[in-house]
Amino acid sequence: MALMEDLEKLRDDMLSAISQAATSDALEEVRISVLGKKGSLTSVLRGMRDIPPEERPIIGKLSNEVRDRIEEALSQRAKQLKGAELEEKMKAGAIDISLPGRSMPIGTEHLINHIIRECSDIFAGIGYEIEGGREIETDWYNFTALNAPKDHPSRSMQDTFYIVDRSGDVSDVRGESDVLLRTQTSGTQVHVMEEKKPPIYMISPGKVYRHDVADPSHLPQFHQIEGLVVDKGITFGDLKGTLEYFIKAFFGEERKTRFRAHFFPFTEPSAEADVSCGICHGEGCRFCKHTGWVEILGCGMVDPNVFENVGIDPEVYTGFAFGVGVERLACLKYDVPDLRMLLEGDMRFLRQF
Amino acid sequence: MLVSLKWLDSMVKVPDGLQEFCDRLDLTGTGVEGVEKVGANLDGVKIGYVETCVDHPDSDHMHVCTVSFGDGEEPTQIVCGAPNIRAGIKVAVATIGSVLPGDFKIKKSKLRGVVSCGMICSERELNLSNDHEGIMVLPDDAPLGASFAEYRGLSDTVLDLEITPNRPDCLSMKGFAREVGAMYHVPWKYEPPVAVPGPQNDEHVEDFVSVEIADPERCPRYTARVIRNVKIGPSPDWLVERITALGARPINNVVDVTNYILFELGQPLHAFDLNAFSKQDDGKYHVLVKAAEDGTKFTTLDGVERELSSDVTMITDNGSNVALAGVMGGLDSEVTDATTDVLLESATFSTAHTSRTSRNLGLVSEASIRYERGVDASTCNEYSEIAAALIAAVSGGTVCQGVVDAYPLVPEPVELTLRPARLRAHIGADISDEEQFTILRDLGCEVKGASGDETVKVVAPTFRPDLIREIDLYEEVLRIYGMDRIEATLPGGAHAGGRTLDQQRIELISSTLRACGMNETMTYSLVAEDDLEKARIPEEGRGEAVELLNPMSSEQSVLRRSIIPGLLRSVAYNQSRGVANVQLFERGVVFGTAEGRKTPKERTLVAGVMTGSFNLPGWNQGAVEIDFFDAKGVVENLLRELATPKLRFKALEADEAPWLQPGRAAEVLSGGTVLGWIGEIHPLVAQEFDVEGAVAAFEFDMRALLSTAQEQRPYVDVPTLPGMEMDLALVVDEDVTCERIIQSIESAGRKGPFESVRLFDVYRDEKRVGAGKKSMAFRIAYRAGDRTLTSEEVEKAHDKIVAKVTKATGGEVRS
Repeated sequence: MALMEDLEKLRDDMLSAISQAATSDALEEVRISVLGKKGSLTSVLRGMRDIPPEERPIIGKLSNEVRDRIEEALSQRAKQLKGAELEEKMKAGAIDISLPGRSMPIGTEHLINHIIRECSDIFAGIGYEIEGGREIETDWYNFTALNAPKDHPSRSMQDTFYIVDRSGDVSDVRGESDVLLRTQTSGTQVHVMEEKKPPIYMISPGKVYRHDVADPSHLPQFHQIEGLVVDKGITFGDLKGTLEYFIKAFFGEERKTRFRAHFFPFTEPSAEADVSCGICHGEGCRFCKHTGWVEILGCGMVDPNVFENVGIDPEVYTGFAFGVGVERLACLKYDVPDLRMLLEGDMRFLRQF
Repeated sequence: MLVSLKWLDSMVKVPDGLQEFCDRLDLTGTGVEGVEKVGANLDGVKIGYVETCVDHPDSDHMHVCTVSFGDGEEPTQIVCGAPNIRAGIKVAVATIGSVLPGDFKIKKSKLRGVVSCGMICSERELNLSNDHEGIMVLPDDAPLGASFAEYRGLSDTVLDLEITPNRPDCLSMKGFAREVGAMYHVPWKYEPPVAVPGPQNDEHVEDFVSVEIADPERCPRYTARVIRNVKIGPSPDWLVERITALGARPINNVVDVTNYILFELGQPLHAFDLNAFSKQDDGKYHVLVKAAEDGTKFTTLDGVERELSSDVTMITDNGSNVALAGVMGGLDSEVTDATTDVLLESATFSTAHTSRTSRNLGLVSEASIRYERGVDASTCNEYSEIAAALIAAVSGGTVCQGVVDAYPLVPEPVELTLRPARLRAHIGADISDEEQFTILRDLGCEVKGASGDETVKVVAPTFRPDLIREIDLYEEVLRIYGMDRIEATLPGGAHAGGRTLDQQRIELISSTLRACGMNETMTYSLVAEDDLEKARIPEEGRGEAVELLNPMSSEQSVLRRSIIPGLLRSVAYNQSRGVANVQLFERGVVFGTAEGRKTPKERTLVAGVMTGSFNLPGWNQGAVEIDFFDAKGVVENLLRELATPKLRFKALEADEAPWLQPGRAAEVLSGGTVLGWIGEIHPLVAQEFDVEGAVAAFEFDMRALLSTAQEQRPYVDVPTLPGMEMDLALVVDEDVTCERIIQSIESAGRKGPFESVRLFDVYRDEKRVGAGKKSMAFRIAYRAGDRTLTSEEVEKAHDKIVAKVTKATGGEVRS
């Protein structure tokens, strides 16, 4: 039974060779040397035909066992070597993860539009629609329908840009016109009430214009967000609650709100709302002129004259309106030192937001 | 308006605690814009008691004193040279650190070897008079240690208040005292500064003056008084002190009184030199109030000649103009040092005419501010009588008896209905009937009715022209009751909101452009007249420029018709500051108009510019110079997001888009709808705007983008069976476009297993490809939905396409 001994020797030699193979390639060589066409085990098995038939089952069983054993050892060793080689490869592939990434830089949103979107989201969340509006209005929408008829002193509160009226109409006041760049978004109140029936819950962000030379704290064009609610049973308390909700949502839960009586032609009673100063937390500092408060918006209950101008019965419906200066919100949130930066398009400014 | 707290305190108790008072004013609708302490330069001057006083060892006239301030501290040693210094008197002491008038700072010093810690003051040293005979000896009851300025009433606090246009009644000390009384529910009183009537003569004013009002709408009341034998000179100190505190410059005793009464009572007055008027045949001066004649020239008190229109109301004397009613008097009739007889006007003029006159002439005065808000006609005469008495008192003149009072339009008191329950419902607060009535009464209203009545009548005082409707009363009650006391609630009803589809798409447009590396900006809507011309953008389709009637400068005199020029200015702005990579977009309104059009057309555009490269060259990627295709890539992504169908890019000829570089310009269409254009800015335009390098740009019409956008693209099954790809390199003439080849491939493949085609290379080489030719390499994908294709099938289909395409384009397959 020399063949059996041969087989056992072969097995032992091969197992030793397998365990000594240092690389996948060396292991492959071992595999070929034993299992390949000209491999040692193959040639042993080829010698089977010379074995007496009665011995064949025993030799056959043994040779199968040897082959299984070798194959198992090969596969185990292969796995070991692959793992080690992968480790090696990964080690060599380590990088400096502090190097900058590879991407196309994403663009940025303009600060003003960012704030408009943020405010719109807050009001959309409490069931408000968002309305557009024209930037050029007639006197009626910007003033008269808003209860500021001709010669009303409130008109001189706002420096208006007038447009050359190409229809041939002439204004009573020299240098004025029936057509103008809107000085406030409040005209959208009138448009919306003319077009829709109550209940109305809307905001209308947009650009407005004032006859001001651009300087660090003034721009001839800026943005407001108008708000209007018309429904049955709306109270001044609702106005307070809604704006307090907005202010907390925008500035943060810890901020306080106060309302000061004021005058606007299109609301009565009218108020201005202040938010507690975010820098000194109401203690008083230079930023808030030592008052602890910063003014952020004007508001009030819709004046019955405005309702009558658009055919809504003020005995049935009440409502409130408000107007927020977007640049003001931007300055309060980001401390922009010079408003003109908003219109210069300086990439170094724009890419901060 | 400026308010002196010292003056106010003579009418109503000014609350202690300045900060709380200012806060309360703010909350009730009177904005406090400034607080100025007057007399504060005597800070540190205190009332002291001279304990001891001995002769200075080294001087024959100086004394060494010890002074105490009643604060338990050791007495302070002060050297004093005044002859009347002695122990046991109270004096004004400038302590160390105080600064006296003339910027004289008090320091610790040595006088002939003796330490002196302060100075005992004379009246002159405190700028109270010229008396320098000796130090001031104060009464024994002067409070020890107290501030001298406060003790002598030298210190005053002046508030700068923002009086809203609906509150003319608050534009006077008296009216403001009433407001403070209502705010705190405390009594207030008004007493004239002198006895009324003042010294009178025997003459009767009606023998001197007659008044006629041509148009009562313009002038509801005009009263005239005459004060004779006045002596023009400076006003007494108390009067000067009061009017200067409120911002007036003292002029002379007569004019100062008119300012005083204006501040105290809110009645604008005008003092004319009576002798500047011309006497008529009946021996009288005739005042006629009438419209000015168009084109009249008139020189006002400030020395400016002004051209008038008939909208202006004039005070005239015998046909000549003497004053712009309600705004400003004339130079020729002003009170001068030579004036002996004064005609005193106390009148009311129409708010509308005053407002227009003031705006038309650009002339704002203390009088016009009050008249355009409304002056109470019912008190014209009463206040004129006080003024006349005061003029007589300060100028030594006498008042003629009686008054000429033209009063064609007597105001009816306004009676309003108040429903206390509705007020509560409107405000959302439980303010009792009685609280409501009290507030209204404190403000000067008469309330007819009782608690529990469903409605009550409220008579508004004539000085409150803003109280004409029930809602006006709600406002009054709310602001005095306190907005801070109203509970914050939210509206109850259910209502849906949110963004419309178009609004969502506008957000999508912005966010997609940002995702493509574009930075959103904003530029000025106001531009120069030649803005469009400079950019070589034709007017066609954009309308005529919308002109401002009152521009601030020629650089900003019309409204923009394109966003591109503004964006180019921003590119130049960046480049001049060393920022080479610029990618900007703006969505904004442009304007255009035409003859006969009242309101111009507004159109929202989305425009972008890009130059340099999108990224800085990095360690692992290069920076590619921006060109046409970067803009096109941005636009392709944008229109993909909007699911815009039937997208087409059509080359624009030089004459179709003169602002773009010829050969690098395209119109973008969806079917037949023009959406906008893409291109590289013409080098000459770039140069005009001081921009360097290639600038790729686009401009799209928002409406067109929104109207062609689709809600969703049709769903196409994801392939489950394998496909096959074949490449085709085609050598064609330069003028054969990619679009044409692709269309030809698509059309040739329509019936076979063709799936899609993609250009992956363009190659030019004179030797290998040929002059005027290019090689374009396409990868064509084949797939069948129902079976796995065999290579024979694909090859057959491919050959068919190649044959058709070469024929259609005149190209050859590159081997």
